[in-house]
Amino acid sequence: MSPLYSVFKKELRDLFRDRRTVTIQLMMAVVFGPLLLFGVMQLASDRMKNLREKAVELPVSGAQYAPNLIAWLGTQNIKAIKPPANIDEAIRTQEAEMVLVLEEGFGDSWRSNEPAKVTLVHDSTRNDTEVMLARIQGLLEAYSRTVGSLRLMARGVDPNIFQAVLVAPKDVASVRNRSGEILALILPYMLIISAFLGGAYLIIDVTAGERERQSLEPLLATPASREAIMSGKIFAACAFGLLGILLSLIGYKVVFSMIKTGVAINLTLPMIAGILLVLIPLLLIGASLLTLLAASVKSVKEAQGFMAILMILPMIPSIVLMVNPIKTQLWMYTVPFLSQNQLIVKLARGETIGMQDWGVYLASSLALAGVLWWIASRLYHRESLAISA
Amino acid sequence: MIEVHNLEKSFKTKTALVKAVQKVSFSANDGKITGLLGPNGAGKTTTLRMLYSLMAPDAGFVKVDGLDAQKEAAAVRRRLGILPDARGVYKRLTARENIAYFGELNGMSADKIAEQTRKLSRAMDMDEILDRQCEGFSQGQRTKTALARALVHDPGNVILDEPTNGLDVMSTRGLRRFIQQLRAEGRCVVFSSHIMQEVAALCDHIVIIAKGEVVAQGSPEALCEQAKKTQLEDAFVTLIGSEEGFFA
Repeated sequence: MSPLYSVFKKELRDLFRDRRTVTIQLMMAVVFGPLLLFGVMQLASDRMKNLREKAVELPVSGAQYAPNLIAWLGTQNIKAIKPPANIDEAIRTQEAEMVLVLEEGFGDSWRSNEPAKVTLVHDSTRNDTEVMLARIQGLLEAYSRTVGSLRLMARGVDPNIFQAVLVAPKDVASVRNRSGEILALILPYMLIISAFLGGAYLIIDVTAGERERQSLEPLLATPASREAIMSGKIFAACAFGLLGILLSLIGYKVVFSMIKTGVAINLTLPMIAGILLVLIPLLLIGASLLTLLAASVKSVKEAQGFMAILMILPMIPSIVLMVNPIKTQLWMYTVPFLSQNQLIVKLARGETIGMQDWGVYLASSLALAGVLWWIASRLYHRESLAISA
Repeated sequence: MIEVHNLEKSFKTKTALVKAVQKVSFSANDGKITGLLGPNGAGKTTTLRMLYSLMAPDAGFVKVDGLDAQKEAAAVRRRLGILPDARGVYKRLTARENIAYFGELNGMSADKIAEQTRKLSRAMDMDEILDRQCEGFSQGQRTKTALARALVHDPGNVILDEPTNGLDVMSTRGLRRFIQQLRAEGRCVVFSSHIMQEVAALCDHIVIIAKGEVVAQGSPEALCEQAKKTQLEDAFVTLIGSEEGFFA
């Protein structure tokens, strides 16, 4: 039996004897990502629905100056209520979301066919008021248009004359595209993290941990080559990481089948296969990088210190793309994290990925894994690795 | 057969260069027990680590059965059974699995491993613990497991770093008998200890190391004669040239 396989088998056996750790790790893989995604999507769709149609209360100052407008808003499920004493202050302290202010001259302007001024006081830096603001603005404009048309017709003018251009937006985004939009933010990051760090616990334990427990010395004094020993450990971590990913993909599939609102995607088998093909090189990159780090530090604690940074690393491309969106280009498939992100988004949107893109991605990511593996193997040859304390 | 010639090893610390081992030479013959005796921190473990090629000497060389320990490390390790200072037994594996793991890493077949395990278990009386996970083993059971693991590939040379550390009287006596048995089988046994009585009771050849240097070597009788003392303990103290030890 080759030493590599012996180490691989031993590490997995050792790991699975530690039932509690394994259970926690796999539970996290199945539950954490899919459930979080489910929660966020459910929350988002509920909130949208509520804000678009639900009856809301709108503080109105000077309601008495425009009883018709207030009555019309009432028919649209907007109920006018008493305004706060200090309007600007109330908005700033988030006591009120927005306030409609009507002034005394409203009636006079209205009667003399001049634009009657209404003020909508709000705070544009508050994301949560966006939907509500759009709804109220839309209603006010609709009211204005209706009354304006009526006035034109009363003077014998066709209201259409007022409309030189008719903009009719035609959105070609498919339902799948639209769902991909929301998922594009969460799903790739979750999957990338679970591939990149899925084997982290095992790698740190069998490198820095084994060194701390002083079992690395007898192991490295066997005739087995250090490359074989290290690779056995890396493959064991990848196998465990892969198990976690498979379980979480099943979790996502279940979650998507539970969301009824059309934002969900149908995770088909080819899609899952594609995602696995994207993530396997990342598993190798993660396990090799962690081996490198764990072999260069003195203790498990020190190795765990890197985890926070490693969790943030995969977010960087997503953040950059959010701030500065660019079209997918071939070079992107050579950048770690960015490439996985792009590929998973494409797969989730149901797009096909060309052979050239796959080729560039697989070649560059496997090359990176190879370089990390090589550096880690140099560290495994250092004298100080075997000797602890 | 292990030959050690003019070994030197230094370590860099923050403040200075520490010479851990200087000009250590000795040879350990087959069918003999060679003891490395010295106070704590004398350089015994560092010397042994160079013997099993885990550390590269700054100067000098080690030959095991005529093979250079640095140039032919894999071949040398196949001929060595090693019990390091830290036993490093895997606690979630059973004793049998610990032994089998090292057998596999030495390239042995499953049948051969099973046969050797049976033999070693009988010799060290460990049938009862063989299929128990090592978590919660006593110090003696851990040492037995580590020793069986070291000997699974039936090596001609055996290196034991402080083998009786932490063992009670009965286990120590058992272990001594086992080491004598290894000698009777014609193996070359090298072990380190800081315990005088143990070295006196077991060794054919004693190498006394202090501050990284060999201060004297020979049979127990020869050492007593050299120091002009009747007791080995007095000879030891005279030879390393200090009485302070712990309080130094």
